[in-house]
Amino acid sequence: MTLLLNLVLAVLMLLPQQQDQKARQGTYAITNARIETVANGTIENGTVVIEGDRIIAVGANVAIPAGAEVIDGTGLQLYPGMIDSGTNLGLNEVGSVDETNDTNEIGDITPHMSALTAVNPNSVAIPVTRVSGVTTVVSESAGGLLPGTAAVINLYGYTAEQMTAGSEMLILNFPQEPSGAAQGWGPQRSAQERKKGYEDAIAKLDEVFDRAELYDRIMTAYAASPAGKAEPVYAPEMDAIRPVLSGDRTLMLKVNAEGDILKAIDWVKERELPNVVFSGVSEGWRVADKLAEAGIACMVGPVLATPTRSSDRYDKAYANAGLLSQAGVKVAIRSGETENVRNLPFNAGFAAAYGMGQEEALKAVTLNAAEVLGISDDYGSIEVGKKANMFISTGDPFEPSTQILALFIDGFNVPMESRHIDLYREFLNRDEGRLQPMEVLPADN
Amino acid sequence: MKLVRLTGLLMALLLVNATSAIAQDVVIRNATVLTVTGGTLENTDVLITGGIISEIGKGLRTPRGTEEVDATGKFVMPGIIDAHSHIALSSVNEGSSPVTAEVSMEDVVNPYQIGIYRASAGGVTTSHLMHGSANVIGGQNETVKHRWGSSDPNDLRFEGAPRTIKFALGENPTRVHGRRGTGGTGAIVPATRMGVEQVLRNAFEHGKRYMEAWDAYDAELASNPRAVPPVWNERMEVMADIIRGEVLVHCHSYRADEIVMLTRVLKDYGVDKITFQHANEAFKVAPELAAYGAHASVFSDWWSYKFEVYYSTAYNAAILIRNGVITSINSDSGELNRHLYHEAAKTQRYGNLEDDEALATITINPAIQLGIQDRVGSIEIGKDGDIAIFEGHPLSVYAVPEMTFVDGVKVFDRAADPDDVRLEVDPEGAIGQYEGQITSRDHFHDQNEVIDFLEAFGDLEDVITETTHN
Amino acid sequence: MPKQLFAAGWRRYVLPFLLLSFLPTSLVFAQKDSQDIPSVSEATAIRGARIVQAPGRVIESGTIVIRNGVIESVGRRVDIPYDARIIDGDSLTVYAGFIDALTNVGVPESDDDNPTGSVPDRSNPTFERAGIAPQKDVRMHLDASDKSVASHRQRGFTAALAAPRGRMLPGQTSLVLLTGDKASDMVLPGTRPVLFEFEGAQGVYPGTPMGMMAQFRQLYREADRRMGVQAMYDANPSGLSRPPYDEVHAAFFSVIEGDTPIISFTSDALELRRALSLSDELGFNLMAAGLNQGFDVMDELMSRGIPTIVTLDIPDRPDWAAKADQDSLDQVLASYNDDTRTATFRDIEAEKRNLEAKQLVARTEFLTMPARFAEAGIPFAFTTYGLSVNVMRRNMMEYIANGLSEDDALSALTVDAAAILGLSNVMGSLDAGKMANLVVTDGNYFDKDSKVTIVFVDGNQHLTGDCSGSGCSDKFSWGN
Repeated sequence: MTLLLNLVLAVLMLLPQQQDQKARQGTYAITNARIETVANGTIENGTVVIEGDRIIAVGANVAIPAGAEVIDGTGLQLYPGMIDSGTNLGLNEVGSVDETNDTNEIGDITPHMSALTAVNPNSVAIPVTRVSGVTTVVSESAGGLLPGTAAVINLYGYTAEQMTAGSEMLILNFPQEPSGAAQGWGPQRSAQERKKGYEDAIAKLDEVFDRAELYDRIMTAYAASPAGKAEPVYAPEMDAIRPVLSGDRTLMLKVNAEGDILKAIDWVKERELPNVVFSGVSEGWRVADKLAEAGIACMVGPVLATPTRSSDRYDKAYANAGLLSQAGVKVAIRSGETENVRNLPFNAGFAAAYGMGQEEALKAVTLNAAEVLGISDDYGSIEVGKKANMFISTGDPFEPSTQILALFIDGFNVPMESRHIDLYREFLNRDEGRLQPMEVLPADN
Repeated sequence: MKLVRLTGLLMALLLVNATSAIAQDVVIRNATVLTVTGGTLENTDVLITGGIISEIGKGLRTPRGTEEVDATGKFVMPGIIDAHSHIALSSVNEGSSPVTAEVSMEDVVNPYQIGIYRASAGGVTTSHLMHGSANVIGGQNETVKHRWGSSDPNDLRFEGAPRTIKFALGENPTRVHGRRGTGGTGAIVPATRMGVEQVLRNAFEHGKRYMEAWDAYDAELASNPRAVPPVWNERMEVMADIIRGEVLVHCHSYRADEIVMLTRVLKDYGVDKITFQHANEAFKVAPELAAYGAHASVFSDWWSYKFEVYYSTAYNAAILIRNGVITSINSDSGELNRHLYHEAAKTQRYGNLEDDEALATITINPAIQLGIQDRVGSIEIGKDGDIAIFEGHPLSVYAVPEMTFVDGVKVFDRAADPDDVRLEVDPEGAIGQYEGQITSRDHFHDQNEVIDFLEAFGDLEDVITETTHN
Repeated sequence: MPKQLFAAGWRRYVLPFLLLSFLPTSLVFAQKDSQDIPSVSEATAIRGARIVQAPGRVIESGTIVIRNGVIESVGRRVDIPYDARIIDGDSLTVYAGFIDALTNVGVPESDDDNPTGSVPDRSNPTFERAGIAPQKDVRMHLDASDKSVASHRQRGFTAALAAPRGRMLPGQTSLVLLTGDKASDMVLPGTRPVLFEFEGAQGVYPGTPMGMMAQFRQLYREADRRMGVQAMYDANPSGLSRPPYDEVHAAFFSVIEGDTPIISFTSDALELRRALSLSDELGFNLMAAGLNQGFDVMDELMSRGIPTIVTLDIPDRPDWAAKADQDSLDQVLASYNDDTRTATFRDIEAEKRNLEAKQLVARTEFLTMPARFAEAGIPFAFTTYGLSVNVMRRNMMEYIANGLSEDDALSALTVDAAAILGLSNVMGSLDAGKMANLVVTDGNYFDKDSKVTIVFVDGNQHLTGDCSGSGCSDKFSWGN
């Protein structure tokens, strides 16, 4: 362990950002590293060259461009930046302080709420997250039937434009059929009330999508030839749903219980929605065959969770992602976190240990996630032409003992700084500058 | 006749209960033994007889009838100790008063709760079941062993463990009592951290006077048979016991200033045993804590869920340990307690602790904080046979707990246990229902607590849900 | 955890039905009518009936004579007094009157039962607001005309331990007869245990089980101290401050002295264990009532030998089993496998079947509890506390279907209940000299189709209607 510490310190000394705290793009060559490309296997002692925001070369024998900043990766590993396919990062700052939370807008049908609008690029949690090697997250609004569009963002940038990874997804909280178990922690409604509430919600969902289809027809016709037609009504909610009907935007359907998943599969099929992923899916393993058959990808998690039923085996939440993957479902892993999205690799590690295997688990937080989010042209693996989202580590990033040493997002070499690290540096030897002995406590009164 | 038949069928469930009593001698063979206090021993056997670790060594000869467990290639560590838990309780917060020293979790241990088994499946063998954080001086806590299978709460009790009590500073008690009254009655002190200090001083001073009054009565009784005993007060009885040093203080706290404040108050009343729970800002006053001899029991990485933890760091444990403060990592959660070994491992990500230092945060350090270090917390001859066996090093994310022993009794066996281990089954409700999950981001102790709280304070829903945050 | 929710929710669910059961009865009017006609006899004889004097003590055809509220004679061959009104008992069965060992019978609901509302300091509410009223005497709250009296009687109950309504410490119970025109007619002398329940105060201290445990200890120990101080003062007040007095603490004095037991009503095993540990710790006499899930506490109950009163509340059939016949349920039950794995989606169906079986095993534990108590030699009585009395017979039949013998059920309703309540010298069996509390049925009471036709309470005769459903009522009543 001491050896590792020394190694870490040595590497930290070498890295360029230690002289200069600004994130910089440029030409970088990371040499002699073990490169986990994810798309094309592992390259021992390989080199990656970054120019601007892109990867321009990857391989065992790569020429280093003149003027490139060389980072010696000897004994180190290079991974594509990890992608968390379900968080509230940037939308919530301090959990219990309502004024700092922007996830829940008023209303049940608010698909036009855009998470990208409210993501705070300066959230303290963003640097805290990225230094773990998580470079890209889905940030979700919440509440109601259609809470809005989730943003896919990179964790470096000063504006939404700089942060967006080029994808948004419409969130649908699929209605939950009431069960015999207590739902939530508030006063319990009667079984009849809950059943009625559920039936109303399903009816409402269908009504919303019926109207969206009608609206789409109207708008399409109007756009084709507006002349002589009355101007269509203003319905921003429906404008937000239209791209889901066409498949231009992914519908992120949040669903967990076995029965609800089955119902959601049927609903998606009946609606002929072309581009749908399920999110949460905590009981997915129970119907893994049906999900595989329907070809619906799943953003699974959090993995670090208790089972959904008291009769379930204790490790079912750990095993869920692996069971789905083995049944042929494309799986991405989500942490469901806000300030602790940095635990994404640990969620993946647990999934790996409980049946998924390390390779699939790594895919679930890199390439699979990028594919599910529709950003795999740019992200999810270390390949020439993709954006330079990657990190250098002392080892397997799922292992807690591994240190993440350097980080690139869109080609920016981002300093390994965060409040947590800053406070560590300040307080590890708090009083080393003090001359007088410390007064421990005032005298007794 | 019918009864005979039915009784036969019931044996299946009754058998579960019966196992709890069997303490068989067991030897764990050929493991990598992480003793925590005595280094790592390769290819080593651990023998447990009569529930106690009796021998540690290579190729041990064992008495006939000793159960053999082949742990070749596996890691053996001391049973994990969770210094802050709310599982296995029927109620958690008597939130109706800022001082409720008289209530005790001992009265509300719930041995049926599945959380006990689930924690055991994460290698946890001892939990410190704490009162909630609604009150400045909450109730007395209960240290239990995970003797899963018994329906008798007394069977879970960690015999001989010192009494401990929950204190709470900062946002929770000020919000519950000061910021909003119940039933439209207006506020009760404290609404501020200043008020918290005075509530503490008031309780201690009354406790001291109560103690003195009884001492005076006892003295007077020797010469005056007509001496009149002081008014009996259960609450002040406990305050007096704290001052006498018979009850260890475990204080929910976050900010550095309030942590130092409590050490001042305790010093004035001669109380020197204190563990700060959560203590997200303890790192800022680590030298002061070390000087007082105070301990800290912290989260591995929780922060930002409320304002008083916004300026905190996951490096808290490492800074505290490097400054000489005995520090444990706790769960405060029915989810995190299933992987405390992983939470401890995060001290390597955040501060590069050595393996034994990291393991100590969930074994010997919490044992010291609970005053049970002579019994548990390390693998040593003479200590209790509380053992966790892992496939893979427990600090690895790929570690899988395989067996857990409490007093030499196997309470978890990954290969042999059935899926459904419930001791208590609803005889009339719907079966196979989705019940929701506790996730690692839930800063609620568990559903039980909230339901219980709602029953008592149904009109205070919002206060309650927030209050029950760690 | 599910258990507790289930038990607590269950009682909330049941309470509204209590109201529904209070259907109109003609009792009051009937008595008025009967007073128009002069009484001509003070004795009644039931002749040629099957007389169950006590469980296992049966006269296949005999006669029982009652006079002035007392059983005058009973036997195979009894001389019927010349002045007796004679009831032809052919096809009738006579049992000793049933006893409900804890109930709110005769105690109308009141707004004071569940005190709520604002208080100046919720950490220190008045005793009244906190539901602490051990001094409250149920005899002051009895109403002989309350419809629950007739409703209980129609099921064969003739006597009961009546409890006041409230929360943690609702008050002192009283033995009552289920007859009479006014409250004082109902009251029997004898034991008057103080009721204790885990019903926390609403929004004030103590709200939780642990708070109630602490508060109970506080009240008890301070009462103990006050008793000592009071005794000292009574012996010689010179130089002593006047001892504090309040009726709440004073109500504990006779409990501490061992003259008055505490009767706990608990709805799950953990509540029962808490009541037992308070009793062990403080040393008062405990009567344990309710005992849902008491099968998990049998050893502790047996070793203490405390009076045991079993609820007639049973779990409903789960929805999935509601319409199944017993044989198919028995098959499900027998299929239970305690070592199942649900590894993947392929095992879901098998899991469902096994969960059903496990639920039946659990349900059977509840239903077989009285049978297991009887087998273990624990005498017990029954209680309808918190229940609609309508379900009394149906639920008892479930206990019998699950192994409780008819004799043991009858014992619980009569002789054992009388013993537990200290009434053995006046009730519990049909023996000459005992109080004339009789239940007359048109067949074996434990046959599904039999009906309670006449109930005598303290010699007062009440005819009853069809009690198989909720529509049963006293038809009318004769004086002698």
